[in-house]
Amino acid sequence: MRRYFGRKLLTYLLTFVLAVTIDWVIPRLMPGNPIKGLLAKFSLQPGGYDAIYNVYSRAFGFDLPWWKQYLNFWDALVHGNLGISIYSYPLPVRTIIAHSVLYSLALLLPAILLSWYAGNKVGALAARRKILDNTVLPIGYTLTATPYMWLALLLAFLLASEAHWLPISGGYSYSLQPSFTWQFIWSLLAHWFLPFLTLFLVGFGGWAIGMRNVIIYELEADYSHYLQALGAPQRLIRRYAFRNALLPQITGLALQLGVIVGGAVVTEIAFSYPGLGYLILQAIQNQDYFLLQGIFLFIIIGVLVANFLIDIAYVLVDPRTRVGMQGAQ
Amino acid sequence: MLGLPSDATPEGAPGEPVVPGPATEKVAHAKRPPAPGRGPRELSVGGELIYFAVRNRKLVVGTSIVMVFLLFALFGPLLVRHPPNQFSSAAAAPPSVEHWFGTTQFGQDVFSQFVYGLRASFLIGVLGGGLAAVIGMIVGFSAGYWGGIVDETLSMLTNILLVIPTLALLLIIGAYLSARSLLFEAIFIGLTSWPWAARAIRAQTFSLRTREFVGMARLSGERDVKIIMREIAPNMSSYLFLMFILLFGGAVLIAASYDFLGLGPTDATSLGLMMNQAVLWNALQLHVWWWFIPPGLGIVAIVGGLYVMNVGLDEVFNPRLREL
Amino acid sequence: MGMNARRSAVGILSAISAVAITATLLVTAPVSGQNIPTSFPRNETLYTSGTQYGTPSSWNPMQNGSYGTGTVGLIYETLFLYNPMNNKFVPWLAKSGTWTNKTTYTIKLRSGINWTDGQPLTAQDVVFTLELGKIPAVPYSNIWTFIKSVQAPDNQTVVVNFKTPEYQQWANWLYAWPILPQHIWSKYSSTDVVTTANANPVGTGAYTLLTANQQEEVLEKNPHWWANSIGYSVKPQYIVDIVNGSNNVVLGQVLSGQIDLSNNFLPGIAKLISGIGGYGLKTYYSKAPYMLSANTAWLVPNLSKAPLNDPNFRKAMAYAINPKAIASQVYGDIVTPANPTGLLPTWNQYIDKSVVAKYGFSYNPTKARQILTQAGYKLKNGFFTMPSGKAINLSLIVPYGWTDWMAAIDLISSQLKAAGINVTASYPQYPARLTALQNGTFDLAITNDAQISNTPWTYYQYMFNLPIRKVQNANLNFERFNSPAAWNLVSQLNATPTTNTAAMKSVISKLEQISLQQLPMIPLWYNGMWAQYTSSTWTGWPSASGSNHYLPMTWRGYWNMTGLLMLTKLRPAS
Repeated sequence: MRRYFGRKLLTYLLTFVLAVTIDWVIPRLMPGNPIKGLLAKFSLQPGGYDAIYNVYSRAFGFDLPWWKQYLNFWDALVHGNLGISIYSYPLPVRTIIAHSVLYSLALLLPAILLSWYAGNKVGALAARRKILDNTVLPIGYTLTATPYMWLALLLAFLLASEAHWLPISGGYSYSLQPSFTWQFIWSLLAHWFLPFLTLFLVGFGGWAIGMRNVIIYELEADYSHYLQALGAPQRLIRRYAFRNALLPQITGLALQLGVIVGGAVVTEIAFSYPGLGYLILQAIQNQDYFLLQGIFLFIIIGVLVANFLIDIAYVLVDPRTRVGMQGAQ
Repeated sequence: MLGLPSDATPEGAPGEPVVPGPATEKVAHAKRPPAPGRGPRELSVGGELIYFAVRNRKLVVGTSIVMVFLLFALFGPLLVRHPPNQFSSAAAAPPSVEHWFGTTQFGQDVFSQFVYGLRASFLIGVLGGGLAAVIGMIVGFSAGYWGGIVDETLSMLTNILLVIPTLALLLIIGAYLSARSLLFEAIFIGLTSWPWAARAIRAQTFSLRTREFVGMARLSGERDVKIIMREIAPNMSSYLFLMFILLFGGAVLIAASYDFLGLGPTDATSLGLMMNQAVLWNALQLHVWWWFIPPGLGIVAIVGGLYVMNVGLDEVFNPRLREL
Repeated sequence: MGMNARRSAVGILSAISAVAITATLLVTAPVSGQNIPTSFPRNETLYTSGTQYGTPSSWNPMQNGSYGTGTVGLIYETLFLYNPMNNKFVPWLAKSGTWTNKTTYTIKLRSGINWTDGQPLTAQDVVFTLELGKIPAVPYSNIWTFIKSVQAPDNQTVVVNFKTPEYQQWANWLYAWPILPQHIWSKYSSTDVVTTANANPVGTGAYTLLTANQQEEVLEKNPHWWANSIGYSVKPQYIVDIVNGSNNVVLGQVLSGQIDLSNNFLPGIAKLISGIGGYGLKTYYSKAPYMLSANTAWLVPNLSKAPLNDPNFRKAMAYAINPKAIASQVYGDIVTPANPTGLLPTWNQYIDKSVVAKYGFSYNPTKARQILTQAGYKLKNGFFTMPSGKAINLSLIVPYGWTDWMAAIDLISSQLKAAGINVTASYPQYPARLTALQNGTFDLAITNDAQISNTPWTYYQYMFNLPIRKVQNANLNFERFNSPAAWNLVSQLNATPTTNTAAMKSVISKLEQISLQQLPMIPLWYNGMWAQYTSSTWTGWPSASGSNHYLPMTWRGYWNMTGLLMLTKLRPAS
């Protein structure tokens, strides 16, 4: 067990270091000078330019040699400091991200967990049941083939733009300030619902189809036929099949995280929902590569942590791996 | 050995890559690797396969949908009367005889953009999905066949690519190009979307390489690459084909996301770009629904059709799955 | 998974949601114990948008390209306001400002003006603000190239002594830069003055900063605003300036009356205004072009490259482009084609009609071909080549993502191609495009850096500024037009008193002649002062036919160009 997790941890650590290094390179590789970009918005008269340029250059640490900038980056990172935003100067990137992370989590966690749970349940029910299968299959395939932003646009168009049932943008009503009032919490939920629904539906389709297909394999497996021959009740066979089918669905979750996060990015953008995805678009549009760097770092850490948790969940669910590891010890 | 639990268990089930949805079929395949010598036998039962193929409703429906759109993509551009990006004074006109799908804010013909966009989607799917399949196979076969340090290194590479937001890479590379072409987008997608496929192939290869027929080939002194090409790959050919279909669909969806973010091609028309433009130019609020509904429907149809086709094919290849 | 599993799943989910909501509140809720209302009554709140594209982060006037909405104008105030509609200066913090002799300018301050912390505004604050310009990194440090000294003989009087007065630029400073409180800003180091976020701005203005987050900035009415005593008052208790989402989001909010004043470029707006019912939307003009003009979009050729260094070639391009088609097909007629001089409509009095008649140009592709043929360019396979036979391939750049400009250059390049000039549209990212402009590596570009102001001098400085540096980082003279004669005229204009209109007109006429003969930049169209408003909550909006002729604008630099006075005209709808 220790050896297994040790190996895993080492893999994660190496991945992390490499990912952070690539992340550090991003703003430095971008063509054009970020400070010049910032100063281009100022109305400056000739003459004072160099003075202002130097002030900002120092503020961002660009006057240091690159290896020092790299070490400083790690040092700051260890202290939880992600640098300064260039567009929203002089706001720390950490402050900007802190707001958005919660919106993204509030969207992603329920959407991922609920769609996985519901998708697996429905998929398992539909397998080898003609009528149910004939509805679940086409619906599931349509949903999983739908681009996130198109579903978002469709929902926004129908439910918000035309029917005016739900708000189309923002994290909460612009007329409110964050506070512990029912009014605010209701507003928070109303704005959350459509982006959540988008992520949920697309995810649901994929998981339902996945479970339906895997469980059919299980039901046709030798052990199922054997149990059937022994006269075991159908419910019992299906329960075994379901449990076995869950395993690939868990690994699937780990592999899909990147895609789901990508889906959240475009969904948030379509709804101007103030999570990390929306922030990415803002950062791209404003050429705020320091903010972008901070966001990507956050996503990398998030995906790594989620992967690790899924690894643990896998070990807990699958008795064979536990046995295997004990054997190895 | 990577020390993954999957390596410890002979059945090779846990730890195997699975993608939700259609990709999951792979796993099941992996559990029942084709018996040695299935390749030749497949030929002899070719007639049987065709028999089941034409009777498989999923395969027929999926293939028909994809074929209809493929024909549109191939021959549609010959039918259109307006170049896709030509401005005209008929701004935001609803569908009519003159403009079948209406026009955009600039008076561009939506139908024309749609058929050219379909062409772009198929191109991205074939090139991007194809490239990803090739890389996935190279990485997967190598890691699974040789194992050891090769496996460790390639697995690490795969893991990193799974974690790093590819969007960041696209941003950097894209910023250096004065114009981004469709080909660039396809290659980029190909270079970044192979990891899950590589993992799946690795696991398959891993279980096949201990088989007798591989051992025999090795004993007879055949070169490793030849063994992979002649013995291992043919034994999972149907599997590889199904994987390509999924990579194809995935590439189309990823391209749509990039286009929507404004990172798509700068000198072409695509379905994702149409949606991007529709949003930028207020199609939602101006009720110009004909601008953003068709491109999305096109993508759903192509990708959904491919997925359904995939399940159908799986059932044809795998007798146990055929509907009772 | 039985009932237990399901129950626990639901439990986990509700726990996650509860934690998420609480955490969101903890992070977004203001940390300080400030008394911020949990909601803003709709009938007391003015919702605006169009200025901020990221989380509001600074209220430092020195960061004049990024400070929070209203920092200059609503929070900090200037000595004068400038009204471009009638070309008049409105005495503001200053009661008066007069040239007591050729090199001395005397400012009399109004009495009874207090900073929002209760301290009085004095002449010392004005002296301090001007002297901040001695810090090289302060954006207006250039004024000390022509100012000798500043004194405050008493609390209400400021005397500015000039070496060589640059009247036009000084007049610009008087309304462009706000007065800062010495008792607070003197504590900042010379670096801090430029880089501080100044998160608790203490000004003299009609509003104070209440709070800001990633969605919006909220300003609250200053109940003790000094201008109440001279008959100005603002009605909105709160101004909520929304950080811009995508176009469709903003348009949706405007249509549903959630935003009162939008200064966003909203495609298709003309259609909505002229449409049946008009959706209750208002603009300054009720017909095309709907908007006032804010700046000129220029086609900038790189004069250090052949054939763009040939005035005949540039003239041919000017004849080959049809700005009218751009205005109607790209913009739906919310912009107008520019005058050949490029001067904004508000500078109409300075446009010398006889010069324009003699040297001007208009869309005429046949003429374009004629000019090129006469100048020795040869037609080959439909495109002109250099007289030597070398092919001409030019690229025209605008920043990627500037959708209207991207559409515009698609059209321009097709128009130029139709006249035999091979130009390809290309859209590099903003920083790459900026580098190309500053380093002179571009062929053709569209720019609009020079904005509406009190004097065409700002336009001609933009066009003719010398010396040409290797890197044109002050964003002037991107085309690299090297004409000492023209630059002398610009300096002469700068040294002409703003009151001497006749002298100004005569210099400007000469500059117009040079610009039309040489065409260092080709004016295309006037970008609009995008403003669309709804009357569901607030009425009294600016309109050509009404009584409010102030600028309906929240952009940086516009509050002090009567955007503030526009606010004083607003009344609750019910």
